[in-house]
Amino acid sequence: MHATTSLIRREFAAYFTGPAGYAAMFGFLVLTGLLFNLNLSLLTHEGPVGVEYPMQVMFGGAESPVVALVAGVLFWGLFPAVTGMLTMRLIAEERGTGSIELLLTAPIRDWQVVAAKFVACFGFYLVLWLPTLFYLPVLADLHAEWLPAFTVWSVALCVGLPMLVAGKIAFLRDGPGWLVYGVGLAGAVAVSVGGYMHYTRDANHILTLTAGIDPNPVWTSYLGVTLAGAMFLALGLFVSSLVKSQLEAWMVSLLLGLVFVLPGLLRWVLEPGSVGYEAMYFVSVPEHFRRTFTRGQLDTRPLVLYATVTLFCLFLTVRSLEARRLR
Amino acid sequence: MIVVKDLTKFYGEYPAVRDVSFHVDKGQVVGFLGPNGAGKSTTMRILAGFLTATSGRATIDGKDVFWDPIAARRRIGYMPENCPIYADMRVDEYLWFRGGLKGLGRRERKTRLGYVLERCWLKDVHRQIVGTLSKGYRQRVGLADALLADPPVLILDEPTAGLDPTQIRETRKLIRELGDRHTMLLSTHILSEVEATCDSVIVIYQGRVVEDGSLAAVRQRNRNQSLEDVFVKLTGREGI
Repeated sequence: MHATTSLIRREFAAYFTGPAGYAAMFGFLVLTGLLFNLNLSLLTHEGPVGVEYPMQVMFGGAESPVVALVAGVLFWGLFPAVTGMLTMRLIAEERGTGSIELLLTAPIRDWQVVAAKFVACFGFYLVLWLPTLFYLPVLADLHAEWLPAFTVWSVALCVGLPMLVAGKIAFLRDGPGWLVYGVGLAGAVAVSVGGYMHYTRDANHILTLTAGIDPNPVWTSYLGVTLAGAMFLALGLFVSSLVKSQLEAWMVSLLLGLVFVLPGLLRWVLEPGSVGYEAMYFVSVPEHFRRTFTRGQLDTRPLVLYATVTLFCLFLTVRSLEARRLR
Repeated sequence: MIVVKDLTKFYGEYPAVRDVSFHVDKGQVVGFLGPNGAGKSTTMRILAGFLTATSGRATIDGKDVFWDPIAARRRIGYMPENCPIYADMRVDEYLWFRGGLKGLGRRERKTRLGYVLERCWLKDVHRQIVGTLSKGYRQRVGLADALLADPPVLILDEPTAGLDPTQIRETRKLIRELGDRHTMLLSTHILSEVEATCDSVIVIYQGRVVEDGSLAAVRQRNRNQSLEDVFVKLTGREGI
């Protein structure tokens, strides 16, 4: 356990000690910012143009060809590039510098190495998405209403939140065990129990959020992009275990990522409802988002695709590390 | 402590190590000699669990490096050639991370970290970023890492390569001191170093063991020649 957590911590911290992590973060912010801008101009447009689903534009899809081109290229063209930047160094760099020799001779199993590296890049991927939460109040037209409705449950919720955050920070900074497990777990329990009871039992809530438009597309989109990201990251991790140069790892994982993106373009050519269209839909991530997630639907077909490709790629990565020993 | 039996390793068609057998008893310091490309690093990598042998077996303290890799690796402190270390970390951060990787708890890690920083003369650079260290200091960090979990066996691949004479002397002194507590297998090209630090030697040439025994026995077998003459004779370059 010590071994895996140590490795997760080191890999996560490594994003902040080199330029690649910041470059990915910057690129990603520019990208989502541009989409937000485009989205806003569409939302406030008068006349026949506009947008039906605001989340759809944020996630690079649209019904009208012009917007679809701009948003699609911005988001889906660059999305595999960003995930590739997160994964390219994970194993390729270690192979290039030779430090993999020290890693693989430590008493840690290959699958633990792969799991730790994947968790670290996935964690950083989630950090990338955090700033986009600021767009949501505008996109979903959220209104917050605060009431001083302090009951046992709401106080437990309010106290638990900072405890949970303190525990998380302590974990990343390798703090003492009582802070990570004691305070962190107590905070998690307080937040979940307090939050649930406050929401179900108390008459008045301290925070009431009302959305001006349907808020369900927000969480389905975020769930979708979390799992889709896991798939692209796992692909990138596998590619990174095959090559020695980071640049190669980035380019190959970008190309492999596009395999799940480019079929989406066929939607302009294929007849909707035809067999080809249905087949294209299975492997085309932009279409999954355009047709289901960003409209507030959860389609299990893409979710199963993301989960299986992720697991399969992680399995291949473990195998590729093992195969390296046999060479 | 280290038992190697009929170890063979093929890189594709090329046999890097062929039927190598030897054993190292507890508490011994053994010099592992041979010209470049003789199979020293390959053998050590197999022992450390970085490579898998094509055939044959190797055990560390009774644990097979193939069938029980985690237990075997726990008993080894390994320092690879050239000491590849994460360049973006600070010395104490790096050693702290390595301690966790080797499964040490917080308290244990703290005491061991203090010990190895002291032992390997790293106290004054412990906050420095590894990438900015000189080669000598990097080697020391590698050695400190090998010592971190207090393993009974140390496997050091050219611990003195690329160091200046003062550093070589320091490292040699350290190795001699560590020899009291650890069983050690170290490869080197500096034969005077072997004479100064090792109890016995294993000479490997073209993937085969050509000489194995205590220093005195090896000299005796070869008509009391110096180790250098013995080495040159064994590795087939007489007359140079």
